[in-house]
Amino acid sequence: MDQDPFREEHFLRKKMDEYHVEIPDFPMKPRPWERWIDFLASPAKNPFESFLSTASGILLLKIVPIIGAIFLTLIPIFLNFIG
Amino acid sequence: MIAYQNGDDAALNEIYILYKNPLYSFVFRYTREEQLSIDIVQDTFMRLQRYKHRYTSEKGNLKSFLFQIAYRLMVNKLNRRKKWQSLLPFLVPLENDEMHHVDRMTIRDAVAKLPEIHRAVILLFYYHDMSQQEIAEILNIPLGTVKSRLHKSIQLLKEELEVKDYGSRSF
Repeated sequence: MDQDPFREEHFLRKKMDEYHVEIPDFPMKPRPWERWIDFLASPAKNPFESFLSTASGILLLKIVPIIGAIFLTLIPIFLNFIG
Repeated sequence: MIAYQNGDDAALNEIYILYKNPLYSFVFRYTREEQLSIDIVQDTFMRLQRYKHRYTSEKGNLKSFLFQIAYRLMVNKLNRRKKWQSLLPFLVPLENDEMHHVDRMTIRDAVAKLPEIHRAVILLFYYHDMSQQEIAEILNIPLGTVKSRLHKSIQLLKEELEVKDYGSRSF
């Protein structure tokens, strides 16, 4: 027979008993669309958070798309000159 | 369960009503994620329906059988998620920190802080009245490992809670 390792642990038992879980109501069968929507709607970490914390980071986030757009615009112009 | 195996579909509903809450609370205490816990419970019952003939009373009771399915599904899902997160680090979900009561927050945090291998053992033992033998079968580990993990997790929880309790009293 297993000995109860919590027998002498009154403090720990008191704390453990305070951990209650609220059970939501949900059906037995999953609904794939609901899962997909939940996955899309679940909050995620901002990948640019480290840039947003500094002024230079914010500036970089603004400048990089502009430089990228200019670069992409210039490619066909150069190709036109070469052709 | 035997009634369900013999084709009584209403029996499945009774099994669901009986085990939905314990399965959900186990997965929730382990992961602290509501949606993931719901998914795991639903998948557990999907799997039970698919493999209902694999269950025999000689293998153990139905509760252990369901917890074993749920635990495996949960571990597989968490491992798969970890792999995705290593490839796409920004897919990390935000932590749910909706805690209102100081004491509840403390025990929740302490349980969440336990290493995964210890967490499952203490949750099954304390909150689900599982014997050490049943836990060994669910987690597929030797009985001696269950005993040592249980002992270790009690020590870790005590340390964590006593430090926090002392810290909160000193302010």
